[in-house]
Amino acid sequence: MMKKSLKPFRDIIALALGHLTVFKHVFKRPVTLEYPEKKLPLNDNFRGEHALVVDNEGKLLCTACGTCQRVCPSFETIEIEKEKNESGKFYPKNYTIDLNKCIFCGNCVQYCPFGAIIMTKEYELADEKKSALKLDINTLKKNYSDSIIKKTVKSKR
Amino acid sequence: MEYLYFLYIDFLHKYNLPEFIGMATFPLLPFCMVAAALILVVLFLVLMERKVLAFFTQRKGPNRVGPWGLFQTIADAIKLLCKENITPTGAEKFMFNLAPLLAFVPVMVVWGLIPFSSEFDFMSYSVSALLFMTIASIPTLGILLAGYASNNKYSLIGSFRSVAQAISYELPLVFVLVSIVVLASSLNLRQIVLAQISVYPFCGWFIFPAFLGFLIFFICATAELNRCPFDLPEAESELVSGYNTEYSGMKFAFFFLAEYAMMFIMCAFMATLFLGGFLSPFGFYLSERFIHNDLLAQVLVYFEQVFWLFLKTFFLIFCMMLVRATLPRLKSNQLMGFAWKVLLPLSFLNLFFICCYKYFIYAK
Amino acid sequence: MTKNRLKINIGPQHPSTHGVLRLVLELEGEIIKSCEPVIGYLHRGMEKMAENRTYLQYLPIVDRIDYLSGFFNSFAYCNAVENLAQIEVSKRSQYIRVLTMEMNRLSSHLLWLGTFLLDMGATSPLFYTFRDREVILSLFEELTGQRLMYNYYTFGGLRHDVSDDWLDKVGDFVKIMPKKIQDYEDIITNNPIFTTRTKNIGVLSKNSTLQYSITGPNLRATGIRVDYRNSKQETGNKEHNSHGLGYLVYPELDFEIPTAKTGDSFDRYKVRVEEMKVCLKLISQCIDWLKSNTGEIISPIKQHLLKVPEGEFISNVEAPRGVCSCYVKSDGSGNPYRVKWRTGSFYAVQILPKLLENTFYPDLMAIFGSLDVILPEVDR
Repeated sequence: MMKKSLKPFRDIIALALGHLTVFKHVFKRPVTLEYPEKKLPLNDNFRGEHALVVDNEGKLLCTACGTCQRVCPSFETIEIEKEKNESGKFYPKNYTIDLNKCIFCGNCVQYCPFGAIIMTKEYELADEKKSALKLDINTLKKNYSDSIIKKTVKSKR
Repeated sequence: MEYLYFLYIDFLHKYNLPEFIGMATFPLLPFCMVAAALILVVLFLVLMERKVLAFFTQRKGPNRVGPWGLFQTIADAIKLLCKENITPTGAEKFMFNLAPLLAFVPVMVVWGLIPFSSEFDFMSYSVSALLFMTIASIPTLGILLAGYASNNKYSLIGSFRSVAQAISYELPLVFVLVSIVVLASSLNLRQIVLAQISVYPFCGWFIFPAFLGFLIFFICATAELNRCPFDLPEAESELVSGYNTEYSGMKFAFFFLAEYAMMFIMCAFMATLFLGGFLSPFGFYLSERFIHNDLLAQVLVYFEQVFWLFLKTFFLIFCMMLVRATLPRLKSNQLMGFAWKVLLPLSFLNLFFICCYKYFIYAK
Repeated sequence: MTKNRLKINIGPQHPSTHGVLRLVLELEGEIIKSCEPVIGYLHRGMEKMAENRTYLQYLPIVDRIDYLSGFFNSFAYCNAVENLAQIEVSKRSQYIRVLTMEMNRLSSHLLWLGTFLLDMGATSPLFYTFRDREVILSLFEELTGQRLMYNYYTFGGLRHDVSDDWLDKVGDFVKIMPKKIQDYEDIITNNPIFTTRTKNIGVLSKNSTLQYSITGPNLRATGIRVDYRNSKQETGNKEHNSHGLGYLVYPELDFEIPTAKTGDSFDRYKVRVEEMKVCLKLISQCIDWLKSNTGEIISPIKQHLLKVPEGEFISNVEAPRGVCSCYVKSDGSGNPYRVKWRTGSFYAVQILPKLLENTFYPDLMAIFGSLDVILPEVDR
């Protein structure tokens, strides 16, 4: 136990130490990130806007199986119009993702059996119109060609 | 002064204006100059506060408006001017509108009392130190009115706290001032500064005999200004924004302006009392030493004196900002206890010590 | 209500309630005579939501119960489901879970420290803690893909493995962190203003903590060494029997549990700061293990077709704000029959009226801030 008479001195030392500690930060480099000009580097795991994977022949990998719908935590976010092509395989005629409802959990990407959907690094999604956040199949395809990550077409897991 | 007056009349004659207009408006000119200078200083001060706090916390501070963010405060001021002036329902309208003025006008007055250079001050009375303390305590009334008239419980509590704080911290403040008056044997601020001239550079400053007094004065000034760690009246975690919660637009700008202007003036006052005011810390003036043209040097000395005063003031303000960045807020009962149990006895001690010093050493 | 009492409303929009808590205070001068917390402004129906979702669909939502420590909620839920469905979790993924959870605890405590001191009026520490928290969040973003809503744990493991590169980055962070914590302590621990404001303020007695089911650092500040991470317990109450002690690989790790004596605001601060140091210790141990061992991280089950056999389970996790328990009852279908959450903050809010009675109004911040309440966790 310290003596009580020493308390004022200890207090003054503590105060001085506090001020010094704060003052020492003046000489450190600012950690501010000036956002619109500079951005944090994102890695491949980042969960941003969705994109549908297109293979080398320009075809979608998606088979409209509906797994993404079943694992999506918010209802009616993903809507798929299914159709059969000439060879008898299913493909999505239309595929919409409603970003108004999406919570960007990444379940659809994780559990897609064909690796047909990915998430890009695009995260600045603010728009004037609500309808702009409803991504249809063309936007999703375009997102894929725009996206920086061109994931190598994943084989079936 | 008279020479300036004739110049002014001459200037008016050129535009065919009669002399009585000159007579009527000439006394107003210094006031306009003071006001303009104060507003400019405050604009810079707000930016400085934001920048300095940013540096303490490894940020960049405002840097978007103008180079180095220089016009940030101007942009903020324009925003405040454009905003709607809201008077809340249930507020005492007259008092509500009066309060910002009551907080602002005394600040303008005391600003004129500071001696900027050895020849040039706007108001110089034989009791200007006393006058300073008297007028500087009026803004508290404005704060009380603001809190009372707003019809808001947060404002009310904030203004009560402000008044209690101002009353208890005024006492040690004045006792320290008395010790300075004893040292300088004068109540005139310019005489106080001139009494700090000594043979050796900066050894005559009153901070050396009255260092304890300086610390007390610094603490009390921080409390008077309602700045951290004594910012109880506007403690945002408890009282949202304290007494100015209900104010917006221009009226808020007045409070804001008054607060920062008062901070600058208090620091200038402190520099005047303890740090030799406009005296050069080298014992000689740079312009006297380096410019051999006598007339030019004589004029430049005055500007240099203003420069030294401002430098000292900004140093003190920087210290206040460091304190603000570091310390948490005091509690109201702790605050009172600190003022009455610690600062007041210490200020007596300081006064006693200074009197002895004056009697035994300084007077010889 | 007597005549000279002032009724004052703190919140739901108030700068210091950390969300949307509403406190109805009765003041007599500056002394709080009564306090009534009003909650429910952030109720999202987290428990009901589970009932019409499959086990997997509910998983991402769980992170949002306490947005500052998503991993803990996620783990509590995963652990319950894994126990019900008898899914094995590999050693490596257990270690990664411990690693991420301790990092999350650190980030959560950092945010608490900053905001607590901001409430007390000290502005700088907020920026320092956020600067350091930012590093953790960036690491999390690199690992999981998002900064707060991780959705990283799955039933039986994790979404993906950690890379050695990432572990190195965490290692670097752990090396610089003790210096930063020392900085915070230099600024605040011995500061006379801070100590007089927090010492002997808001004292929680051992008895009342047990009565009010206070858990976590708030409980440990009173001197009761209860921590679900630790397998050996010394509870004050003998009847207190709890299962799930020493979950995951905590029994294999070397760490102590910081406690204090009086249970005032200062002790709660001290315990949390000490806990941050313990976190660093645990993180570096996990990194060492993960670097020298490899293994599978996910058990091969069909997550989205998961059907859980009938039964019920409670899993307890030592979250940063007290014990977070998740009760899952299954009726054998793909959806949980009932999910119930127990979170630490709720009980901390419950004790507020008792703690705040006859204290000064400025003490409100010193007490409420030190309890570390987060509102989404209270309302769920």
